[in-house]
Amino acid sequence: MTPLRLSHWQSLLLFAFLVSIALGVLSRRSPTEQVKYAARSLFWFLLIAIGIGWLMYPFSR
Amino acid sequence: MNDETTASEQSVRTVHSDRRAAFIALAAWLVPGLGHALMKMWGRALACLLCVGALLLCGAGMRGNLFTWETPDPFSRLGFIADAGSGLFYWVARSVEVGGPDVSHSDGDYGTRLIAAAGVLNLLAALHAYEAARGRKA
Repeated sequence: MTPLRLSHWQSLLLFAFLVSIALGVLSRRSPTEQVKYAARSLFWFLLIAIGIGWLMYPFSR
Repeated sequence: MNDETTASEQSVRTVHSDRRAAFIALAAWLVPGLGHALMKMWGRALACLLCVGALLLCGAGMRGNLFTWETPDPFSRLGFIADAGSGLFYWVARSVEVGGPDVSHSDGDYGTRLIAAAGVLNLLAALHAYEAARGRKA
């Protein structure tokens, strides 16, 4: 199998997208609620990851 | 007498229901999505299969670390418990990752997290299937 090369952003997006779908499907009953939960979860995953990234930025240099 | 018979039948039914729920949980752990498929929850079954499968295959493709039990490091053993949560897919990932792990790059490190997340998500799905089989969730 050819090694998969992903950037930090692509890795984050892949992880957040798949985990959000699974959490949405498992924690809500109706399809509409599942989609809403997955979208909200994805948004918070990305926002918190980017926020923590910026918080660590001053210490990276 | 009738009440006793009814109570006895109820108890037998509960034992059968518990055994069935345990079987469904085991199936859900072994093959992601199978537990929900046995209960005809097709959407959830497909979502579990695809999410866990994609996380695991991408993680293995990124040459993440698939932990083994034979290690003196307790944290690696914890990693193995998370990885083994994927059931039979853990061995599929081992057979896919023929080059072995490479965590000297960020890809490999992210891959390790994806593989662990796949296992933990599958354990969560198995628990959900168990609860659904017992009638506590739908």
